[in-house]
Amino acid sequence: MRRVLPEALLAAVLTAVLAVPIFGLRIHVDGIDVSLDRTPTPVIVAVVVVFLLRLFQEPLRAGWARARLSITWQHPLADALRRTRRQPGYRALPWTLLLIAAVVWPFTASRGAVDIMTLALIYVMLGLGLNIVVGFAGLLVLGYAAFYAVGAYAYALLAQHFGLSFWLSLPIAGALAALTGFLLGLPVLRLRGDYLAIVTLGFGEITRLLLNNLNVLTGGPDGIGNIPRPTLFGLEFGRRASEGGATFHEFFGIDYSGEHAVIFLYLLGLALVVSILFVIDRLQRMPLGRAWEALREDEIACRSLGLNPTVIKLSALTLSAVFAGLAGAFFAARQGYINPESFTFIESAMVLAIVVLGGMGSQFGIMLAAIAITALPELAREFNEYRMLAFGLVMVLMMIWRPQGLVPAVRPRLELPERSEPAP
Amino acid sequence: MNTFSRNVLSAAVGAVVLVLGGVAHAADTVKIAVAGPITGPVAQYGDMQMSGAKMAVEQINAKGGVNGKMLEAVLIDDVCEPKQAVAVANQIVNDKIKYVVGHLCSGSTQPASKLYEEEGILMITPAATNPAITQQGYRMVFRTIGTDDQQGPTAGRYIATQIKPKKLAILHDKQQYGEGIAKEVDKTVKAAGIQPVLFEGISKGQTDFSALITKMKKDEVDFVYYGGYHPELGLLLRQSREQGFDTKYMGPEGVGNKDISAIAGPASEGLLVTLPADFSTDPANANLVKAFKDKGQDPTGPFVMPSYSAVRIIADAIQGAKTEDPVKLAEYIHKNSFQTPIGNVAFKDNGDLKEFEFVIFEWHADATKTPVK
Amino acid sequence: MSGSSLLEFIQQAINGLTLGSIYALIAIGYTMVYGIIGMINFAHGEIYMIGAYVGLLVITVLGLFGVDSISLILLATLAVSILVTGSYGWTVERLAYRPLRGSPRLVPLISAIGVSIFLQNYVQLGQGARDVSMQPVLTGGWRFGPEDGFQVYLSYMQVLIAAVTVVSMTVLTLFISRSRMGRACRACSQDRAMANLLGIDTDRVIALTFVLGAALAAVAGVLVSMYYGLVNPFIGFIAGLKAFTAAVLGGIGSIPGAMLGGVVLGLAESFASAYLRTEYKDVVAFALLIGVLLVRPSGLLGRPDVEKV
Repeated sequence: MRRVLPEALLAAVLTAVLAVPIFGLRIHVDGIDVSLDRTPTPVIVAVVVVFLLRLFQEPLRAGWARARLSITWQHPLADALRRTRRQPGYRALPWTLLLIAAVVWPFTASRGAVDIMTLALIYVMLGLGLNIVVGFAGLLVLGYAAFYAVGAYAYALLAQHFGLSFWLSLPIAGALAALTGFLLGLPVLRLRGDYLAIVTLGFGEITRLLLNNLNVLTGGPDGIGNIPRPTLFGLEFGRRASEGGATFHEFFGIDYSGEHAVIFLYLLGLALVVSILFVIDRLQRMPLGRAWEALREDEIACRSLGLNPTVIKLSALTLSAVFAGLAGAFFAARQGYINPESFTFIESAMVLAIVVLGGMGSQFGIMLAAIAITALPELAREFNEYRMLAFGLVMVLMMIWRPQGLVPAVRPRLELPERSEPAP
Repeated sequence: MNTFSRNVLSAAVGAVVLVLGGVAHAADTVKIAVAGPITGPVAQYGDMQMSGAKMAVEQINAKGGVNGKMLEAVLIDDVCEPKQAVAVANQIVNDKIKYVVGHLCSGSTQPASKLYEEEGILMITPAATNPAITQQGYRMVFRTIGTDDQQGPTAGRYIATQIKPKKLAILHDKQQYGEGIAKEVDKTVKAAGIQPVLFEGISKGQTDFSALITKMKKDEVDFVYYGGYHPELGLLLRQSREQGFDTKYMGPEGVGNKDISAIAGPASEGLLVTLPADFSTDPANANLVKAFKDKGQDPTGPFVMPSYSAVRIIADAIQGAKTEDPVKLAEYIHKNSFQTPIGNVAFKDNGDLKEFEFVIFEWHADATKTPVK
Repeated sequence: MSGSSLLEFIQQAINGLTLGSIYALIAIGYTMVYGIIGMINFAHGEIYMIGAYVGLLVITVLGLFGVDSISLILLATLAVSILVTGSYGWTVERLAYRPLRGSPRLVPLISAIGVSIFLQNYVQLGQGARDVSMQPVLTGGWRFGPEDGFQVYLSYMQVLIAAVTVVSMTVLTLFISRSRMGRACRACSQDRAMANLLGIDTDRVIALTFVLGAALAAVAGVLVSMYYGLVNPFIGFIAGLKAFTAAVLGGIGSIPGAMLGGVVLGLAESFASAYLRTEYKDVVAFALLIGVLLVRPSGLLGRPDVEKV
């Protein structure tokens, strides 16, 4: 107990040093007059709280540990998931249920919620795509937004100049993003570890700057507006049909509602996510997918087994770019308007955060994390000033408490049936 | 630990789903959404918008509201990001709010306005100046501020006829607003036979302009137009004087903010600014200006009065048209004129103000300004 | 090259060196942390931003007390700023990074991004999102060149920035190469586990690294608030990105590399702005980075690391 008091005092002094210049003294600029506002209250509160916490750290910790011991309720859902997972016949069951819920949900939810979930689906696509390079192949890419931008601009430009529909543009957007990934990958993939991260970061920034500077092609900071929404077999979702087109509500003889378009976009996003999930799931079981993971674990061993690391890395980057391209085209369709601001470094960092928070390599975790990262700040919109503050804090706390992510990755594996009788 | 945190987590996810599922509101007020940046790098402009709108709501309520109902300002943060603006617009549709004062940045106004038009929500932006916003043929979209293609030519004509520079440089901040105005100025001076020697973009948030200033000094530039906001121009002015490059500068209303003198100090003396006529010096607004000052708010910011006026117009229209139906209100607003702090306003068919005049001011080091005749 | 274009070249070099000095000071923080724990500390830009705020605050306070001696202002501001910013560096390391010691590489990276978002909004909450500014404390300078033509201008402030940078770098280099703690730092960056076995308190060394990096960021912050006089909660992000680029350009983990990288980057931006177009200066900066890494995969002065089985 003797050492606690000086330590608590020290912590209190440290808190004062930290808080005074930011919260205790505010620089107040009014016109050309600069003055200082003294606001001691928040500082005093912070100092007292830290002092008390530190002083009673031991009893608090002990109490916390006891409380935790008493709460030992098991998690029924997680348990059920784990159990069904082991039985090959039931593997698909939770997924099917989830999918049905996801399809039915928008018809019961509010429009704002559906729209936010659509945004979340975009991040799910991005997260799943980035996961290929970061989670599977173990390559840190910090410029993922560049591929996302390529996809979005591809659709916007194709629609604007050639009047191509969303459905035609979607594969082209994917292909262009893939090409970008391939061309970037060729020279830089021989860089190792964090250097690769930085080069891709630089590449991402260059892409954004070029989009902003090449006014003739991309509209510069004005961006591109009036990007058409996707159609359902040619049926449009506007209030009025464009020339020669038909609208969804007229075709089915129902009243116009803005919700149709929102729900359609959501379902479209969901379909894209499901197909991406399917493709990745297959890839993961193919020799290529296994080679990615092998490469992540030990590059030298891979090389000595005759695998070509460059080809494997290149395939991972290219494929991951495809998904970013698809997500980009979908994003442009949802927004109807894009400008370079949407493709900043922060965007790349957020997607990376989704991958890590979700548990690298785990598809389900990434979906959860994408939803959490997009939906939580939206829900907290009323807390305006505190929203991003809490968001940053949650990111740190998650890493401390659960560094393996929400749902740690489970490798696909085969288990040998237990032997019923001992070997002869 | 693991089970515990997993439990907390699943509870959190459950809560998310619940809250997302149903948001209900019940109160008999006329809600007006004020959508703009409350956080993020341009929050200070959002402050102007919010303070103007809030003041209007308070004053209207103090006089008994509209048709016996109180107004309620619902402040919503879009951080000036297009992505978030769409989410905000959907939330507004969702919450059945029928009127929007906002958004602030052209980039976020553009995608949001499409939704408002489709959903029949009345939108008045007090700050987004990009011409494209009112060129979509929308009926529900208005603005209570002039556009870049009004402001740019005003500045351009002044440069061409009054300044007649030998070597003109046009700079901008590579943002929609700044570059838009700079291009308009460029067009106008070129039409008048002046070929700018330099047309370049800096980047937003840049603090070091020494290389650019040296370049202009070397090229013997004798007049600079800057399209953008005050922080960058303030630093440009300051560093120009420091390097001994004493050329006159000119900028749009985005720089006409007291902060420019705080940043540039004596270097802001003599800066030319195109601004909407200063509504806060209009004797008719004396009481309003006093009300702002009593609350410790600054009424001189370029978006304060337009924002106040936007709320005023919505309230007057509801009173005049005796309906709360936004589509009918939009028609009413198109047909009538309104008495507001920014003058007696009427709207063109596209939703722009019929008359909005930009005046050229000379800025002084003590953050005051005087009109240039 | 004619006389005036030579003078312009010299002026642009001065501009670039000034900018580069600031980059170098911030870059050191990145490079030291990376050298010891192999982590990209994304929150370092925010630490620099806090340093700039504190600098501005102290200068304002001194101004209210009527202190006008430039050396007193500089010393007092540096001292307070280093104290506060160093405390931030230590606290961030203690709370957000130390619990993650030994986890996979990406975990501290995400934590750092979280800290960066947190600090940005934390300062915004305390000081507001508006720019705060102040008038220059030190004005004036020397002019060289023809009376009626292009004159090279070297301000006292630019000289001060260069001088403070050189002094800080010298002190740091001496500390790293001569002192006991410096030796421990070097040992840790070569092999942390081994250093630990030999009785070095590695946690303390790591904390010290963060404090040293933060102190240099504070120096940069103070210089910036004196030179540009404009601070807002978002300056850390851009400066951090550039400084980080500089650190990698020079070879991350190498202290002289960070200095060289900062200067090269500053010069590149300045010359790109001067002889190309200003909007392409950042493109040039990042393209330079990619180009250098393709030719020398571990940066200008970085040690190529050999992978062993």
